[in-house]
Amino acid sequence: MHPLEELRERALAQIASAADERALEAVRVQFLGRQGSVSQWGETMKTLPKEQKPIVGKLLNEVRQAITAAIEQRVEYFRAERESAAVASIDISLPGTQHERGSLHPLTQMLDRAIGIFRRMGFALAEGPDVETEWHCFDALNTPPDHPARNEQDTFFLPDGRVLRTHTSTVQIRSMESQRPPIRVIAPGAAFRRDEVDATHSAQFHQIEGLYVDEDVSVADLKGALEFFLHELFGADAAIRFRPHFFPFTEPSFEIDVKSKALKAGEKWIEVAGCGMVHPAVFEAVDKSRGDDAYNPEKWSGYAFGLGMDRLAMILFDVPDIRFFAQNDLRFLRQFA
Amino acid sequence: MKFSVNWLREFVDLPLSTEVLTDLLTMSGIEMEQIEQRGGNFDNVIVAQITASKQHPNADRLSVCEVNDGSGNARQIVCGAKNYKTGDKVPLALPGAELPNGLKIRASKLRGVESNGMLCSAIELGLGEEASGLLILSPETKIGAPLREVFPPDTIIDVEITPNRGDLLSHLGLAREIGALSSRAKSRDPVEVSLKVTLRGSSTPLGSAQDDITISALRECPFYSIQRIENVRVGRSPDWLRAKIESVGIRSINNVVDVSNFVMLELGQPTHAFDAAKLRGTINVRLAREGETLLALDGRTYSLRPNQVVIADTERAIGLGGVMGGEESGVSTTTTSVLLESAYFSPGSIRRTARELNLPSDASYRFERGVDPQMILRASKRATAIICEIAGGTAKEMSIAGELPGNPADISLRYERVDRVLGSHIEPQAADGILTCFGLEKANDSSTSVSTSTWKIPSYRRDLQREIDLIEEIARAHGINKIPSADRSRFTASSEADRQYDFESQIRRELVALGFNEARTSALIARGELARASGAVELRNPLTEDHVALRTSLVPGLLAGVARNARAGAERIALFEIGNIFAAMTGEQKRSLAIVLSGNVQSKKSWRGAEYRHFDFFDLKGVLESLFSARADEREYRRTERSGFALAAAISSGEKTIGFVGQLASAEANALDASAPVLVAEVDLAELARTRKTAAAFSEMERHPSIRRDIAMFVPRHVTHADISRVISSGDEPLLERVELFDLFSEKDVAANERQARKSLAYSLTYRGKNRTLTNEEVSAAHARIRERLRREIGAQLRE
Repeated sequence: MHPLEELRERALAQIASAADERALEAVRVQFLGRQGSVSQWGETMKTLPKEQKPIVGKLLNEVRQAITAAIEQRVEYFRAERESAAVASIDISLPGTQHERGSLHPLTQMLDRAIGIFRRMGFALAEGPDVETEWHCFDALNTPPDHPARNEQDTFFLPDGRVLRTHTSTVQIRSMESQRPPIRVIAPGAAFRRDEVDATHSAQFHQIEGLYVDEDVSVADLKGALEFFLHELFGADAAIRFRPHFFPFTEPSFEIDVKSKALKAGEKWIEVAGCGMVHPAVFEAVDKSRGDDAYNPEKWSGYAFGLGMDRLAMILFDVPDIRFFAQNDLRFLRQFA
Repeated sequence: MKFSVNWLREFVDLPLSTEVLTDLLTMSGIEMEQIEQRGGNFDNVIVAQITASKQHPNADRLSVCEVNDGSGNARQIVCGAKNYKTGDKVPLALPGAELPNGLKIRASKLRGVESNGMLCSAIELGLGEEASGLLILSPETKIGAPLREVFPPDTIIDVEITPNRGDLLSHLGLAREIGALSSRAKSRDPVEVSLKVTLRGSSTPLGSAQDDITISALRECPFYSIQRIENVRVGRSPDWLRAKIESVGIRSINNVVDVSNFVMLELGQPTHAFDAAKLRGTINVRLAREGETLLALDGRTYSLRPNQVVIADTERAIGLGGVMGGEESGVSTTTTSVLLESAYFSPGSIRRTARELNLPSDASYRFERGVDPQMILRASKRATAIICEIAGGTAKEMSIAGELPGNPADISLRYERVDRVLGSHIEPQAADGILTCFGLEKANDSSTSVSTSTWKIPSYRRDLQREIDLIEEIARAHGINKIPSADRSRFTASSEADRQYDFESQIRRELVALGFNEARTSALIARGELARASGAVELRNPLTEDHVALRTSLVPGLLAGVARNARAGAERIALFEIGNIFAAMTGEQKRSLAIVLSGNVQSKKSWRGAEYRHFDFFDLKGVLESLFSARADEREYRRTERSGFALAAAISSGEKTIGFVGQLASAEANALDASAPVLVAEVDLAELARTRKTAAAFSEMERHPSIRRDIAMFVPRHVTHADISRVISSGDEPLLERVELFDLFSEKDVAANERQARKSLAYSLTYRGKNRTLTNEEVSAAHARIRERLRREIGAQLRE
């Protein structure tokens, strides 16, 4: 064995047995330091015959690399050992660093969900003002003065005679006034009722109005659209029924009930929406206001619907009292984070 | 409205089970609200006669009665009621009986006196609302008979009648509808509804138009009739009558008034009985006079308007036509001669009057929905016959004035239109069958083609006015569930409202990501908040003090949220709302965003020793800056005065004011029970949208290294960060990329006066070349120029 090879074996053995980083450093100095054995072999090299120089030089290089690599490996070993010793004492059951989490209001979440479904069904959004004329709120919706369904008792009036809209159906009129058919819109918004406030009634509530006017729109289309929407919302296995009802501005008119085991009401039918085919008198009122016959009821037909968002949110989130929605108690809001 | 199932059965064969009836009604648009079982449940309750009564020896309020229970043995009962006399027949609950209210009857001693049962009131038996005394039965009742025989079991249904269906507001009307619907269910052939009871009517001939009635208000009251009935003995109604009207929630008054109510419940036509002796001269149906008042039967005096119809005699108003009779002219125990009114009042006029006087009545409810003109005289005859029968009256002449409204106009129906509206084919014969069931008659018109038909409308269906009304009837009876659902959609371009919704959703999500909870507050503010919302548009008719005006700002609502949560002990309050606000005076609506912060930066203490301090002005300003997300130097924060705020700044961009941010005065914060500063901001949402980038676009990333140099300086305390930033950027150094303030402190200058007071600021300046690596020399040169400007322009003492 060449003395260099012996030197290598000795060095590797000492590196392997170095107990800590200080001992390892001593080994490094002993072999690779300026006065170290390997460095001295560099001096010895100069004295060798020419023909041996490349051979010994190559060997010396290999030895130096082997020792250096072994030291590095040993250093890495010590570092890993030190690190695992350090983390061994960490109590990983300690709580994670806190991040403040915000939340969307449950009504916003309800609206987002409903709007998301309607958008997939090809409805665009529309809007109208909260403060409305009586004409938009009642007359145009086939509810003339002295009609039993024109409930002034339940309507908030402003000093100038305008009203706070009692339903978002006003947006049906606003939309048809400003654009020609076909029209396919939903209008989320607030509505107001002069009503005693209790667990299911509040002065202000939220609705989504829907309107589709086109050629030959029928009750079958209305059924298909709202069944799709309600199945998306309540699940495919929810039962849905349409029940004849009366609204002045639709005819025929229906209320829609949903029954689902997933809901707290279980086997009971729960009313979730009102809907119907746009009454020809509504088209006639719109045309009169527009001054044309864009909505001639002989040519166009349509369906309209209204959904109570507070009510749907109460049903879906199991909220027992509508007043929670306006109190903004963080203990309530954070439940919906 | 409440209906008695027994009563309905008098007119039509009903489905046997209540469930089937409920389904039938529900699926044809008549919603069942409540079902209640009544009577019948009277085991061990019998009819007894009181044979003697004496004072209880040990109790002032009790009596000891001896009753005949039909067994032949006298029975002793202790009784607390006072309304009976010896000889009266009353219900007796025997020991062992269990009353509908759950009371179990046992033989016992009351104050030392034996009592073998209990004499019952109507309410104890679930037979009426009367609780003040015993239920006195009519003299004909058989002693010892089970009470079940007197009050057979009944089901009372409470159903919602929609406002278009005034014809259903009677037992006859609902029975007719059920008959039509159930005949549909049984058979597709048109079946005529048969009324099992033919109405008994007096044979008195119609009086011709006489001059004892004048109608001056023909538009409001096109037809009026008066039937005179003499020798009437006003008194208690017989049991069957009381039971009938009380079963559907009408209180018994006396036999004449009860008959009037009975006929209304039976046939739907309200009638009214006047005491003939109280009237002077002839009857005039006229509009009220300016300033006229009337004491109505409800005991209240109403001031009338000249558009309201009154029934008047020669001297004064004696009733509010179609709404309520007058107190003075009403039937009382002294009445012997009755004038029975039956008339047609126009729906609009009645509705207006009832609304203006806030006086809805059973009569006005029916008149405003339209009564059946063909029923007016039938009802009068029916009531007259019963009054004569039970109150011993003699029917005299009937007077009429005006003309009955004509029948509704014929309506033609296109069968193809039915299919188009429903989206499903209905055979013309099936459609005809349905309409015939509902009492419509197909006109025998030879010109009618096979594709259309013309229909005569019954007098009671004034809601059927045009083709679509017939189509609705067909849909209702055919069954909506038989119509197949169709899937019909179309491509729809997004609208301005879509873009607005998406923008607001984005803002909401950004704020939620920053740890805010979204709030929603009412658009209506309370009286107490009006002081701070000057000019807010007030409601003309608020219902409560909580909702009186339109909010001009979202802030009051959010501050109420702060108060609620502070009181609930919340450590960290961070709320925002996006909603409509309404301009003062005009009520003009716009979208607004408001944010409030109060309490600790973190909602809980942490073992990490993390930040635990109160929110301050700069926390909220930072939130706003993150929302604005365009170049900060496009916006300006200017100090302003704001009532209720200790510190307030107006935020502007160019000429436009975007909003404000501030800190509440501590007095205001204390009023909210907030234990930490309350920071508030409100921003115009449209202006906020304008500050934001409309579309994301790529820009080249820096490829060359930057060089950072710091500047630390003392400046007089009045010099602001904005002043310093302006000086630094005023040189337009092309290499200067970014300036960041990283340290700030004010000297606690006890000795120095205000003018000498200084503060220290330290900035980090970043230099970078766009296309090359900068040399130290050029950065140093630029940095030196900036330092020099700071020294020269604001007297900064630069620190090394």
